[in-house]
Parts: sequence; C-alpha cells; structure tokens
Amino acid sequence: MTKIGLEIHCQLTKLESKLFCSCRADYREFQPNTNICPVCMGIPGSLPLLNKSAVEKATLIAMALDCNTPSKIAFFRKNYFYPDLPKNFQITQLNAYGNTSIGWEGKISVGDAKIRIRRIQLEEDPGRIIYEGATEKTKLTLVDYNRAGTPLVEIVTEPDFENPHQVREFLIILSDLLENLNVSDPGLEGAMRADANVSIEGGSKVEIKNIGSFHDLEKAVHFEITRQESLAEREIEIVQETRHWDDGRKITVSARTKEEEAEYRYHLEADIPWIRINDDTKNQLQVHMPESISSKKERYVSKYGITPQVAGILSSDRYFSELFENAKNETNAKDVANMITTDIMGLLDTREKRDSSKLNAEHLSALIESIKSSKITRTSAKLALDEIIKNGKPLQQIIDSLDLGHVSDEGELTNVITQILKEEAKAVEDAKQNPEIVNFLVGKVMQKTQGKADPELTLTLLKKSLAIG
Amino acid sequence: MVSEEEISNVAKLMKIDLEDHSSHIKRVQKMLEYFDILDRANVESEEITVQETDLDKLRDDKYVPYDKDLLKFLKSYQEKYVKAPKLN
Amino acid sequence: MDLGISALNYVSGIKNNEFTVEEFISKSLERINEVDKNLHAFLQINDVAIKNAKEIDAKIKSNQDVGKCYGMPISVKDNICISGSKTTCASKVLENFIAPHTSTVVSKLSSEDAIMIGKTNLDEFAMGLSTEFSAYGPSKNPWNTDCVPGGSSGGSGVSVAANECIASLGSDTGGSIRNPASFCSIVGLKPTYGLVSRYGLVSYANSIEQIGPMTKTVKDSAFLLNIISGIDPNDNTTLDNKDQDYLSNIDEGVSGKKIGVVTEMTNPDGLSTDVLNATNDAIKTFEKLGANCEHVSLQMVPYTVAAYYTITSTEAGSNLARYDNVRYGYEMDSSGFEFNSYISQARSKFGPEVIRRMILGGFVPSAGHAGKYFLKALKVKSKLITEIKHVFEKFDFLISPTVPIQPFKFGEKINDPVSFMMVDMNTVTANLTGIPAISVPYKITNGLPIGIQIMANHLEENSLLQAAYALEKTVDLPEVSI
Ligand SMILES: [Zn+2]
Repeated sequence: MTKIGLEIHCQLTKLESKLFCSCRADYREFQPNTNICPVCMGIPGSLPLLNKSAVEKATLIAMALDCNTPSKIAFFRKNYFYPDLPKNFQITQLNAYGNTSIGWEGKISVGDAKIRIRRIQLEEDPGRIIYEGATEKTKLTLVDYNRAGTPLVEIVTEPDFENPHQVREFLIILSDLLENLNVSDPGLEGAMRADANVSIEGGSKVEIKNIGSFHDLEKAVHFEITRQESLAEREIEIVQETRHWDDGRKITVSARTKEEEAEYRYHLEADIPWIRINDDTKNQLQVHMPESISSKKERYVSKYGITPQVAGILSSDRYFSELFENAKNETNAKDVANMITTDIMGLLDTREKRDSSKLNAEHLSALIESIKSSKITRTSAKLALDEIIKNGKPLQQIIDSLDLGHVSDEGELTNVITQILKEEAKAVEDAKQNPEIVNFLVGKVMQKTQGKADPELTLTLLKKSLAIG
Repeated sequence: MVSEEEISNVAKLMKIDLEDHSSHIKRVQKMLEYFDILDRANVESEEITVQETDLDKLRDDKYVPYDKDLLKFLKSYQEKYVKAPKLN
Repeated sequence: MDLGISALNYVSGIKNNEFTVEEFISKSLERINEVDKNLHAFLQINDVAIKNAKEIDAKIKSNQDVGKCYGMPISVKDNICISGSKTTCASKVLENFIAPHTSTVVSKLSSEDAIMIGKTNLDEFAMGLSTEFSAYGPSKNPWNTDCVPGGSSGGSGVSVAANECIASLGSDTGGSIRNPASFCSIVGLKPTYGLVSRYGLVSYANSIEQIGPMTKTVKDSAFLLNIISGIDPNDNTTLDNKDQDYLSNIDEGVSGKKIGVVTEMTNPDGLSTDVLNATNDAIKTFEKLGANCEHVSLQMVPYTVAAYYTITSTEAGSNLARYDNVRYGYEMDSSGFEFNSYISQARSKFGPEVIRRMILGGFVPSAGHAGKYFLKALKVKSKLITEIKHVFEKFDFLISPTVPIQPFKFGEKINDPVSFMMVDMNTVTANLTGIPAISVPYKITNGLPIGIQIMANHLEENSLLQAAYALEKTVDLPEVSI
C-alpha cells in the first residue's frame, strides 16, 4: 500500500512581527536586507524575544487540528551550517523532554479518511538564498535575510495518505482552516510550503524536499509514486533517500548531500525559558477561536435555510463568509448568500481584486433590500455592484448617478410599451395566439429601459395593451 | 578511548580545519576521558530542570522597524544582498 | 588624589569637591598609560573619556541632575557590547567586529553617568581561567607579574586591582568573575541567573552565565548591583527583583546565621595548604561574628567540573557557530572557496582552546554520545540543584575557598588539561545551580591573594552581601604595589 506523509510549513502571516524580534513578519514588500535587526541577524550579544501572539496563534492551529496541547512549551536549537541561517542554528521545537511542542497527536478528516497529525511545532524561517545567475555553479551565493525569523508552524502528519488526490484535498481543507483561523494567508507566495515522504508496498521511505508550492506538491508525490512503482516493476530496490523536487523539469532528483550525515546536536534554547500555558489561557483561546468551517456550514443551512452547496462554498472562504455574516439579517440571509456566490465571487476572483474592492456589508444589505422592495432590478443590481466595488460610494448615490432606479411610472412605461408594440408587430400578432410570447415582449421592454422597468408593472401594462389575460 | 579519527570527523562537522591535529586531539581525548567520571554520578533517574516563565511575560506582537541600516555593519555584500561563498 | 579609592568614596570625593571628574579620569588614563604596558588589562581605551568627563563636570557645576556614578571610570570586559565600538572577545575572529547595539548593563551605568574607560582582556570568548588564551596576549597579575591574574575576566580583575579604574564589569560562566577577583584580591560577585540582563553579552554558555560587578569593596558591588540588576524587556530570562536596595542594610551582620562549609570544596585533590588554612581561618572569623558554621556535603560536587565542561562546550558549539566570517568577521577573500571549505578555513582563526571546545561541543551532544555525556551532565546539574535546595532549607550560606590554589605562574597549568579544569571545582556549582556567589579577598600569603567564596540561595544577594561585608570588615589587607 502506498503511504504518504506530509510536513507542512505555514508562515503565521497574520502576525505583525517576527518570532523573536520586532521586524515585520510579512517581509514581502521590503527591499533586500532591510527587514533585519541584530536579533534575526544573530549579531553577537543579541537575544531572542519570543512573540506572545505567535504562541497563541500556533496553539489555535493545534486546537483546531484536535491536537493535545502542553502545559509548558520549550524551544530547542537545531544546529547546522547554512548561509541562509544567520546563527547557524534554527530555533525550533522538539519533544525530547516530554511533550513540549505546540501540539501533538491530532487528526483531521479528509473525505472519509482520517489523517493523523503527529506533531505541530513553532519555529523560525531561514533567510532566502538568491543565486547569482540561473545555475548553482556560480562563484558566490547571495542572501536576503528579510525572511529570517518569520514565524513558521510546522505540521507533521502520519503517513496516512494513500494517493495524491487525498493530499490535494487535505491541502485545500488545511488552507481553508488556516485562513479561517485568521493565522495565515495561504495565498501569499511562500506562505505555505511542504515536504513529503512517500513509500510504496515493500519499499523504503523517500523524502521529497524543496517543493515550492502546494500545486507542485501533488505533482511531486504523483511523480514519486510512479517512479517507485516503475522501479518495483523492474525489481530494482527503492533506497531510503532524500530527493529534491526539480521545479524546472518537474521531477524528483536524488539530493547530492547525504542527509543521514546530518548531526543537529539538538539542545534546549536557554535564552527562552519554558513557557507555561495554563488551562485558563487555553480556555480563553478556545472561547475566542473562530467558528470552524464545518460548524459554520451547518449553521448556514439550519438557521438560514441556505442550500448545503452554497453554504459549503461560503463557509470555507474567510473573506466571503465574513461579508455574509456582516450583511445578513433575519430576513435577507438567503439572498445575501446567493448574491455572494453567484455574483460577487465572480467579480472578486483574485486576491488583488479583493484587496482593492470597496464593497462592504452595508452596500450588500442595501442592495438586497433595494431589490426586495423593487427599487431596482437584479440586472441593475449587477451594474451597481460593479460600481460599488470600484468606488465604494453609497448605493443610493450610485443608483442616482447611473440612473438605475426602477421605471415604475405608468405614463413613462406606457410610452415605451407603445413603441415596442409598434416595432414588434409580428410578435404582437403571435402573442394573441400564444400567451408565452408576452415574456419576450417584457424582455424587449427591459432591454429598452436598460433593465430598469418594474417587471410586474410591465407585464400588467402589456397584457392590458394586448387585451389578453 | 575516543579514537583520533572520530575526533577529526567531529572537527570537520564543526567546520574546524585542523592543521596541527595531534596536539588538539590528544588534549580533547584527555578531557573526554575525564568526563567518564559522569558515569559514576548515578543520576539516570533525574529529571531535567529548567527555567520557566508565564505566557503574559512575553513580548507583544508589535512591528518596530530597526532604526539602523544593519547592512552597513555587515562585512561583505553586493548591491543589497549579503555575499556568501558558493554552495557547490 | 588616590586612585585606589572605592566607588562610594569616589562619589563623596566628587560631591565634596575634592577633585573633578576630569581630574580623576585623566589621572586614571595616565595610570593606565603607565602600568598597562606591563599588565595588559586593557584591549581598548575609550578615546572620548575626557570629553565625557567634561560633560559630567559641567552638569555638576550647573547643578543639573547627575547620575549616581558621577563620572566614575568603569572598565568593561570585552565580551560586553558598546554600540559603535569594537567588541573582540579577545578573538582574532572578531578583530574588527563593531557592535551595533549597547548592552543593557552598560546602558544602565551610562545613564547613571558612569564613564566606560575601556574594554578589558579575557580568555578568548571567555573560555579559560588565566587570560593565557587571549588572542592578544595575557594580562598579568599585579601582585606578581609572573603569575596569571585568573580568568576569564582577568583584564577586569587587573584593571581594578591595579587602580586603573574604580570598578569593572565581568562575566561569569564557571567562575570567570570570582576566580580573577580571588587572584587579584578584589571583590567579585556572580549574581543569581536572571538577576542581571545578558543583553549585549556575547554568549558562551547562555544557560548559566551572568554579568556581575568586580570592585574594590563589597559595598561597591552592592552599589553597582543596584544599578545593573532587574528585569529587562530585552532578555526573556531576567527576573524581577522589585528594585531591591542591596546597600541600605548591608551592615546587618551574620549573627545567628547558619553557614555550611562545603566538604567537597575544602578537600579536593590539589587544594593548597595555604588556601585551606585561610579558609579555616575565615570559618573561625565567621563564628566570632556570631554565625554558626558546620560542614555540609554536596555529593554532586565531584562531578560538576565534568558536567560544566560538557554543558558549556555544547552551548559554545552552538553559540559560536555564527562565526563563519560571512556576515561579519575579518577580511578573507571567498572567491574559489565553496561554503563549507570557506567557513572551515575562516574558523581556523579560533585560538586553540576555542577549537578544542568546538570539537568537544560537536562530540558530547551528538546523537551517538549525548546519552553518555550531555544528558548525564544535565542530570548532574538537576541533582545538584535538588541538593542545593535542601541545603538552603537548613543553611543561610555556603562557604569555600573561591579557588583551590593561589595564582600560578604563566605556562604552569596550561599543558595539563585535567588539572587546569580542576581549578574551576569550587566556582562552577553556583553557575550550574543559578545561585549567587561572591569572592571576598581574605589573605595575602607568599605575596599572593587568597579569596573566600560565599554562596547564598536564589535571589538572596541582599543577605549574601551582608555576609561578605561582615567578613570584609575583619580583614586589613596590604595595598598592591605596582
Ligand atoms: Zn529582526
């Protein structure tokens, strides 16, 4: 049986500062080496100062993944030399003297399968190596340390996945969960990375590292299974090794350095005392923990009568479920949900669009209200949405400036209908035989009024003119 | 006794180029030999003791930009990148 | 003007207009100029000290608020950072390292208007007990320049003993304050772990080391401790001492106190007879002062030196890993080198003792050997902590000779690593357990000093200083002549 295990690295991008210093946690918009200080650069004499919120947010993740959480957490040093590691050791966690990592022995459902979480730990991200030129065979290495010290949560699963499809499903669920907890923004480049280990029946375990994105993770796992199966078919032994994902060629290649030589000399990081996390603190965290996606979905269905499908889409996206929660009231929930899933999601389908969107919950509830009270039509509402997203002006102002208000003035509408009846003489004839044609004429009126005509009034007036019904 | 070869290997792992091997190795061997005294301390059942503190004593999550251009303190850099020797 | 005055007398001298800050500082600089060629206490002199002195004099003259130190010259061990100036740790590897930050202890002293007169010599990265491992040559004992001044804060000890400054800041990982204090006949205090901020101290073995005062009198140590102690937002391991005043009731005495004489520290192999006699004498003195002395056993003590070297090597192996000469260090062309060979080459600039500690630090915590060495060392440390806890349920203080021997000649011990390590026997217990310990000058025998060590329970610096002061008051030691 194929066994796949994952090591997910997730940056806590929702934090303001790094794990052990006050530099910015989100380093992405900085010029190289401008988001650094003596602490994250390991300048002699500097000391790490642990970020309280990092411990809390990481603990939230552990709780959400059904992990055990310790009464005390401890940090360890993992010692190895590498240019992206300013101190030449990484401050991380280890369950060496009892369970002192952020969490352990959790689980999460993926479809019908239960994936067990072995351990969750809090650690610092290294800096980034930027090679000069395109190949590794250059004369020097260039390093940007802006990322060094960024808070990272490592989630280690048991080898419970049986195929790449499950891996993908898990990653989607996990991303949604982390986003919902408001600890990370999985959409940010490099915010979520993963290593995998893969073994097939009778073969040794192979680690795959260096996988840049979740998208590639599934590919890498798939490639590796295929590679191992083809070796097995030819009765070639699958050796235990570490392989790197070659992003360019989309294959895994054997790592040149022998990982088994690694000797990390783990020992306690004495600069950070063990942190007591008492039950009170845990209860507080639990109380303030954002509602889980599944319970949200259930609530949307049972309380508001939203279809399970729409509720599922809505609850798994933090941005839209928040919009929904803020716009909905006793009477409009279903309409709000539908407008978000059918109209707004399409308009705001990228991070950039969401970031620049001026739409808020007030707009949305006003919009639903206006449709319900026949102030504007659904068609006009769509036009208004476009405009709100662009400039965020109040709905009424937009209705006025675009002249989206309903034409419910009988005189004005009668004029339009008279004109249409003239232009559509054939349809008028047919309508006398086939009442369904009336709808066609209603559509024509709508077209002429750019969707602003009150549909019911239009129908009544048309029927009157045609002397039917 | 811990072998010379073993000590040389550790030196390599610790990124220490030993030019004059013998004097260092002999001395390290003697020190390690002395450390054997730990076997007689009879402490197997002891628990490790550590310093502890409370979560609320920790730093609040606040971004405070560092007020110096640290890159200027660093030894060698190219443009805005720190220069390190090639990796392979 | 007497450069040999205590910090407290310096302050009253300034207050009584006996001399100005500038006068005292320039005399001190003259003194350094005169004696330091020979003694080599300093690695670097503050070239704006006179300017600082003038500024403080001006403040005094115009009746502005002046800090408690009134411009007194204080030397600082060269592993404690001062922004904008070199911190070499007496290593070639940090020959050109300029710290971008100032240590909390120096900030606190500066804000009390102390003048940092210069940076003092040490064993490279504080690994040693004689300054013979300084990459810039050893310091010499002012009592006999053929002898070592102790270490690793040897330069600090010499600078105070030879009246080159009023007081000094040292760091103590296994005796590095107390050992040179004892060898130079000054007072040296290793505070409770966490009482003084380590921010700005270049780490060697960060789980056990502390910065502390090295002074001419016990009261001076209390005076400096008042300034440098307390919780620091830049050091997660610091403790809240509630702004305790260590000076106010220092003359409380030891009447009725119970003092334990640590058996394992008064009979180790190699304990000199003169040191033993001095210790017995000190015990009698304490009894005369109304204390009750009795022998007490700490069974873990014979294992502490091995545990100490195992733990410190492990931590040093990690703390010194950053010296790869990539981000800071010395000039060395990297072209043609691959990363690993470059840093191996660069790190060969470490001196011999650091190299050996790096090797030990790679070996004792490694996967195959941690069980035999590192874990056992941690467990010895734990058991020792338990023993100490029990002992302090019964006793107020523990005493022992600070060092089992008197200052030795250069080159005398350096070739025998094991007997070299044994010199630390009496001092490492305070570091491994985190308790405060002080060395008080007690005797000059054969022209060389002997210090007595007093230890107290966690955060009991107040009573520790009381006991030290009581002992100090009973002795009248000669001045060093240099
Ligand atoms: Zn930083």
